[in-house]
Amino acid sequence: MSLSILFVKVLEFMFVAGWIGSVIVLLLTGAEDVETLLDTKDETTH
Amino acid sequence: MSSTPNAPSGDNRVRIVVATSVMLTFISYWRAAAVILNDLGSSAFYAGGIAEQAIGKSAPWFVLGVMLFAFAVRAVYVESCSMFVRGGVYRVVKEALGGTLAKLSVSALMFDYILTGPVSGVSAGQYIAGLINDTIAMADTHGWVPSAVHRMFHGTPQVGVNGTAVVFAIAVTLYFWWENIKGIEESSEKALWVMQITTVMVVMLLGWSGFTLLKVGFHLPPFPTLANIHYSDESLGFWKHSSLPHRFGVLGLIIGFGHSVLAMSGEESLAQVYRELAHPKLKNLKRTAIVIGVYSFVFTGLVSLLAVMLIPDGVRMKVYSDNLIAGLAMNMVGPPVLRLAFRAFVVVVGFLILSGAVNTAIVGSNGVLNRVSEDGVLADWFRRPHKKYGTTYRVINLIVGLQLFTIIVSWGNIYTLGEAYAFGVVWSFVFKTISMLVLRYRYKGERNWKVPPNLHIFGVEIPIGLASVGMVLLSTAIVNLFTKSVATVSGIIFSVVFFAIFTFSERVNRRKHAHTLSQMKEQFQLQQAESVQRETVGIRPGNVLVPVRDYNTLNHLKWVLERTDTREQDVVVMTARISQFGTAAYGLSTDQIFSDYEQTLFTRAVSVAESFGKKISLLLVPARDPWSAVAQTAHNLESSAVVAGLSSKMTTAEQAFVLGSAWEAIPEPKQQFILQIVQPGGVVDTFRIGPHTPTMKNEDVVLLHRLWLNVTQEPGLEKVHHHDILTQALTRFARDFGAHDHEDIVKELRRQSAQAEPFPVRRIADQIHTVQPGPPRPDPDHDSTNDTSK
Repeated sequence: MSLSILFVKVLEFMFVAGWIGSVIVLLLTGAEDVETLLDTKDETTH
Repeated sequence: MSSTPNAPSGDNRVRIVVATSVMLTFISYWRAAAVILNDLGSSAFYAGGIAEQAIGKSAPWFVLGVMLFAFAVRAVYVESCSMFVRGGVYRVVKEALGGTLAKLSVSALMFDYILTGPVSGVSAGQYIAGLINDTIAMADTHGWVPSAVHRMFHGTPQVGVNGTAVVFAIAVTLYFWWENIKGIEESSEKALWVMQITTVMVVMLLGWSGFTLLKVGFHLPPFPTLANIHYSDESLGFWKHSSLPHRFGVLGLIIGFGHSVLAMSGEESLAQVYRELAHPKLKNLKRTAIVIGVYSFVFTGLVSLLAVMLIPDGVRMKVYSDNLIAGLAMNMVGPPVLRLAFRAFVVVVGFLILSGAVNTAIVGSNGVLNRVSEDGVLADWFRRPHKKYGTTYRVINLIVGLQLFTIIVSWGNIYTLGEAYAFGVVWSFVFKTISMLVLRYRYKGERNWKVPPNLHIFGVEIPIGLASVGMVLLSTAIVNLFTKSVATVSGIIFSVVFFAIFTFSERVNRRKHAHTLSQMKEQFQLQQAESVQRETVGIRPGNVLVPVRDYNTLNHLKWVLERTDTREQDVVVMTARISQFGTAAYGLSTDQIFSDYEQTLFTRAVSVAESFGKKISLLLVPARDPWSAVAQTAHNLESSAVVAGLSSKMTTAEQAFVLGSAWEAIPEPKQQFILQIVQPGGVVDTFRIGPHTPTMKNEDVVLLHRLWLNVTQEPGLEKVHHHDILTQALTRFARDFGAHDHEDIVKELRRQSAQAEPFPVRRIADQIHTVQPGPPRPDPDHDSTNDTSK
């Protein structure tokens, strides 16, 4: 395997693994976001 | 030498209280979201077109992917803002990776900010030129273009799109250059208004597009597979002749993602507005992040998708590549005139939001450069204030000069501009995220929030979420280096040049600052305080607050000292160190706030006080808005009067109005005070700030008296007072104003207001009288020849 292909493979791994992790971030923060939006205890929304 | 009342004995230095927290006017998360979306939302006008030019018809999926990923990037910003080390790229990178990488990252950020202007200005120009051409073409099909004009242009007259865009971009940039030189204030009100109009357009666009899709049917764009990605000649850059992009599917995805990443430019603004957010800050920051996330996903993401679904392939890239939303408007179902009218609306909205982005680019760049200048990595020469307007005109000139150069060199090529722009965007994100990762291990203090998920193995935290975002950004940024040759070359040259300037300036400044600091320490004793409090400054209630800015105009301080016995009433000389957009995102250290300019200013003020033999207290507060700073300081110090000089930009009445407005924004309880503005000729205008007895016209007093006479003749009402009549009248007015007579009252007041004086200050700061200065108090110790401030 040439160096350039190894380089590309590393980049691809980073991108795919990063995306899988980012989707988990989105799911976890998304649930929290809904909670934040529903919580209207303070009165700063003017 | 004068000193403050509680200066330590045996120390002749003048004490200066330096407040380290920026005095801010807090804004709701809706306004904060509007400020950010003015930058972030503007990319909807060009991001889709640029991406499709690079990678073909599957581009909208990449833009949607970027907008989805932007939610995760936002989480990184929320974590960085929730930490003790708050702020944007520069501060966070410096804390984590040191000064060298911080300078590099800020160079990339400057590249991003500086290019925001040209890309937005040129895009707005493209939309305008496209509208002009299509309007003429439509008129021509109806035979409304005279044949002589037709002959003159050898066909339908058309304007050159790129040339027009360049002229427009230059004109808008020059306009905002002058506005920034004069020192316009950033207004979240204006941003909110622009976003309201934009929202109307987005709702119409989505509704009409949805209706069109139902009518004519639709096909989704091809899914982003290697077979469906069609690279243009420019989109592969240094890999143009390589087989790699054609062999690896995921690499193709990274290339496509990299060409669409500019759709999330503007995220950095989230860190900039954080300090200005109202309580509860973290929750409001999250809300802001949600609002901008959903809005930009719908606007930028869906618009790109709809464009491919609705605009025929034959014209989409050929005619509308640089004004995709206009193309969308022209390809809805409905009468052509209605579509053209909607397109005109799109152009107006585009003009507003993109022009706003041009201004944001100048203000943002100025803020970042001021910020690094405060850290000593940009020569003080750049920060020297404009003689008349007090703005950092040299920094503004540098930024605008670079922007004009970029506009002319690109000659309206939005694709090239957009590609270069993406370089700055993605690399500033990379630096930021890597720094956040490093800080997870280096910074052990409490955080209010962390990007999830985080695993703990043998007591070691593994930040899975943060690392994931970092990996996507870093892989994209590296691939961009290969596929965007123009951006890579120009970005690297720009970053290296800026890095060299920063490094050279830092060395020069280090020597110079050491000298200044030693001088300053000999003369002044700096006392750091988190906020301005009367006890901290060591003064009594009822003091006189004297705001100063320009050391050449201290006449109002002399006027105060001539008339005040400082043994009975304290005089506080304050200056507000204006922290521009972006600067407010950071906590400031004393050395950053107290520069050699402030040293000169206070030295002059002390000289004036010495010439009168009187004591003054010195106060320095960082602030976003000088008027809010004065109002808040007067409130905190329980001042009875504020004495100011005449502004170079406003009349005395206007000054009173803005100070009154700033006072109105202070939460209750608050006390009123007198504002006196000393004009150069010695005339002094006096205003009351806060609710107070209004000046009554003579005829109103007569009318009140006549009513009182009539009322007291009624049986049982003999003991009614004049004020009872007023109470009854005001109660009735309040009731009518809140009910059925509202419109009539407003109309009548408008009519009266039109006949009255032109300025609207009466509501808040009613001018009570104008006085000529009386004879100064006899002061045998005062020798005018000692006055060095002249």
